[in-house]
Amino acid sequence: MATIAAPQHRSSKTESYVDNKRKEDVRHANIIAARSVANAVRTSLGPKGMDKMISTSSNEVIITNDGATILNKMKVLQPAAKMLVELSKSQDSAAGDGTTTVVVIAGALLEKCLLLLSHGIHPTVVSDSLHKASVKAVDVLTAMAVPVELSDRDSLVKSASTSLNSKVVSQYSSLLAPLAVDSVLSVVDPAQPEMVDLRDVKIVKKLGGTVDDTELVNGLVFDKKVSHAAGGPTRMENAKIAVIQFQISPPKTDIEQSIVVSDYAQMDRILKEERSYILGMIKKIKATGCNVLLIQKSILRDAVTDLSLHYLAKAKILVIKDVERDEIEFIIKTLNCLPIANIEHFRAEKLGYADLVEEVSLGDGKIVKISGIKDMGKTTTVLVRGSNLLVLDEAERSLHDALCVVRCLVAKRFLIAGGGAPEIELSRQLGAWAKVLHGMEGYCIRAFAEALEVVPYTLAENAGLNPIAIVTELRNRHANGEINTGINVRKGQITNILEENVVQPLLVSTSAITLATECVRMILKIDDIVTVR
Amino acid sequence: MAIDRIFKDEASEEKGERARMASFVGAMAIADLVKTTLGPKGMDKILQSTGRGHEVTVTNDGATILKSLHIDNPAAKVLVDISKVQDDEVGDGTTSVVVLAGELLREAEKLVASKIHPMTIIAGFRMAAECARNALVEKVVDNKEDAEKFRSDLMNIARTTLSSKILSQDKEHFAKLAVDAVMRLKGSTNLESVQIIKKPGGSLIDSFLDEGFILDKKIGIGQPKRIENAKILVANTAMDTDKVKIYGARVRVDSMAKVAEIEGAEKEKMKEKVNKIIGHGINCFVNRQLIYNFPEELFADAGILAIEHADFDGIERLALVTGGEIASTFDNPESVKLGHCDLIEEIMIGEDKLIKFSGVAMGQACTIVLRGASHHVLDEAERSLHDALCVLSQTVNDSRVLLGGGWPEMVMAKEVDALARKTPGKKSLAMEAFSRALLAIPTTIADNAGLDSAELISQLRAEHQNEGCTTGIDVISGSVGDMAERGICEAFKVKQAVLLSATEAAEMILRVDEIITCAPRRREDRM
Repeated sequence: MATIAAPQHRSSKTESYVDNKRKEDVRHANIIAARSVANAVRTSLGPKGMDKMISTSSNEVIITNDGATILNKMKVLQPAAKMLVELSKSQDSAAGDGTTTVVVIAGALLEKCLLLLSHGIHPTVVSDSLHKASVKAVDVLTAMAVPVELSDRDSLVKSASTSLNSKVVSQYSSLLAPLAVDSVLSVVDPAQPEMVDLRDVKIVKKLGGTVDDTELVNGLVFDKKVSHAAGGPTRMENAKIAVIQFQISPPKTDIEQSIVVSDYAQMDRILKEERSYILGMIKKIKATGCNVLLIQKSILRDAVTDLSLHYLAKAKILVIKDVERDEIEFIIKTLNCLPIANIEHFRAEKLGYADLVEEVSLGDGKIVKISGIKDMGKTTTVLVRGSNLLVLDEAERSLHDALCVVRCLVAKRFLIAGGGAPEIELSRQLGAWAKVLHGMEGYCIRAFAEALEVVPYTLAENAGLNPIAIVTELRNRHANGEINTGINVRKGQITNILEENVVQPLLVSTSAITLATECVRMILKIDDIVTVR
Repeated sequence: MAIDRIFKDEASEEKGERARMASFVGAMAIADLVKTTLGPKGMDKILQSTGRGHEVTVTNDGATILKSLHIDNPAAKVLVDISKVQDDEVGDGTTSVVVLAGELLREAEKLVASKIHPMTIIAGFRMAAECARNALVEKVVDNKEDAEKFRSDLMNIARTTLSSKILSQDKEHFAKLAVDAVMRLKGSTNLESVQIIKKPGGSLIDSFLDEGFILDKKIGIGQPKRIENAKILVANTAMDTDKVKIYGARVRVDSMAKVAEIEGAEKEKMKEKVNKIIGHGINCFVNRQLIYNFPEELFADAGILAIEHADFDGIERLALVTGGEIASTFDNPESVKLGHCDLIEEIMIGEDKLIKFSGVAMGQACTIVLRGASHHVLDEAERSLHDALCVLSQTVNDSRVLLGGGWPEMVMAKEVDALARKTPGKKSLAMEAFSRALLAIPTTIADNAGLDSAELISQLRAEHQNEGCTTGIDVISGSVGDMAERGICEAFKVKQAVLLSATEAAEMILRVDEIITCAPRRREDRM
């Protein structure tokens, strides 16, 4: 009998896929899962959005309002839910801001899709209509946008502060927004005015003080102490800085080696030799006039020893050790110098020059500041302060978002109103467009238009306003041609949002719409989950 | 029951009807699994890995789905195999081949049930397949001579292939990309020189074709970021230290100075090596392994652009496209072939900096940079584009083209039907079955699009009674339409491969009358 049971058992796994009901169920389950992810971050949207506290697997606590960070730490397993996490990541890399918005829009779209599917509309029809609607939506948004010049610092600051307003650090937005604008503008390369590499903006976090003390440093900052061993200098004017990638310590060969010591005198000699070897190196360094050394961290052997530090201190050379290899490129770009990998190549022309290198006490720690750099490269450092680690981390994330916002503006120089105004306008125009379309398409596009109202709805809800009253009034005002009216969360009413200086880059809105639709279309087209190896 | 003792304890044997049943059911289950992905309105599947990380893949590509399945049924494995072969051979039609084979078996099962010998069925299938192929050969269009028409054929094929994939919305854009890339190949089917780079961010429409080669690496610190007329040495060599690779080798010294000396000697050795490399008269050095700080600085001093840690794939491609050879010793500069290109520069895609080699020696090389919302989209886009590229490069060689949208199946079915009527004997039953199986493909396409397949197929059949008819299913408008007018084309080679391998696979499974499952190998408890 066993032979009969075997084939049946084998095929039962695959046979169930023939069932059409299952396909509906899979799609249903996917949509529900993705929607619940969207619901999880929904309350963090907007200036009055709430924060989430995440306790990670390593018992670390993170408090954040940043959609991308929340989703990233959530560790979802359901495949469709995972796609939403990916979605917020792509928004993060494309625009840097609006990571919550994109997920909320996707969630709302999915909800509408569920309704459409239950009416018996074929998923591909829904998917194609969504695509059409999103293309049209981008057109509408572009038509709404106001061009902005990079010289118009005020507008840039406004959009950066809109982004910051929804964060924990919102009360500092008047400080952080100009800071973000200045730091991005200072790294814009005139040769490629549309490219900003945010890696040229270094954010240094230092615990202590308040976010108020955050500052833009014209120069370099290291979150490190100057090496204090043997009383070396901690302040150097007219500094000649060398970035070295070799070690000032007793020699070590790559091939295994051992020194054979046979008697006491020999030991003495070895110690003396070691001393003279290091002294020789330091003399060579001193000969070039160098007085500040940045030493790259080495895993193979000690970068510096107590002995070499002692001699360096004697030679009045300021030493900063354990510089990471990744940082070297940023440093040399800033200092306009070349790294030196071998003592033989230690030449004056490879040095960088700065007016002042000094160690500053900050809070309970110390940092090293290099200022007045000669021929400084196009880089900036921002020193972020905060009273505790959680605030500090959140401040850094918020600042990163603000930097991204400014970068978006550099790449695509258009501004658009915030506060739910573009979404309502889109909803209105697409709704009108849907009326002139025939067949299923019109029906689906109307659903798309309705789904977009989720953004103002959620904004109002999170702010404790009556969402239905707000959304209907907004609709009304937009129908009367006031396309820039939006929710003023601070005042709790509807105003012309452009006058309130609530603006955001066009790129953030368009990429949120296109990415969300792309993701929803992908989820719609899935009819099965197959477990594979 | 003594016969059971022939096999080991856990081995099992299935015979006759039962064995055939098992293989029919298995094969059909597989065919049904991928059936819904067929056609422009086919659905996607999520492949959820049970391995580490629970990775998720979203795909529409039959071969990818089948490749990653856990399969226990031997007949199902045969189908997976033919889809794999189809993928390797022509790159597209991987779903069609499985669906057709499954349908053939479904029909065969009915015939077997009505007591027709499998061998008779096979003979009928063979004749039908031959006849169907001839019908196709007669109807092919070959536009090889007319360059402009040929290009439009290619565009049509690319559009048709892409319309069933994730790229369907931007198929115009991608069809152009794929055709441009394939035209650069000038007839070779070596897709190695078409490099696909995936960068998340942006949307699919931002993808572009770039001539030359793009390497996803960084230029060393302090080195020139832009080189014109580059001479490139591609190498795979250790640029940290040349170690003595004898176990336990060590040096014994009796003083610090000696250690310093040895260290100096090691440095000197490295320097010598670098000098030898520089001695090749190069201005760009690409190494597969790490380049340490010290040699990096030496290269920077010599004004040479050095790229470290280029992966295997990267350097092999680079060597191929720049016309160089991968070197690992540098003693004979004259025997090393250097690569050349007109310009090396840093470009920025999304947030990342990449190195672009343009004006490379091998003119056909190009890079397609894909942009998209997420990794899922990008991976699927890459698979789709790869399918299109495969089909196109095959078509460049064999430029015979057919119409799509179920048209070839209708043509074949009609011819096979005619043959069945002329053939006396039981074979004709098998031929009729064959023609019904062929019709299953347009039926599935229509079903997947949510259309009334019975209505459409009967309309199509009526249309095809007229000689020289060009109608097929137009899924977009949901009706029967002229395929030539809508520019829906398929490569002859793909259709032929689908037809022949599906028939062969069905035949192979039909012949089976016994399945012997061997006892599983015991896993020893060594863990």
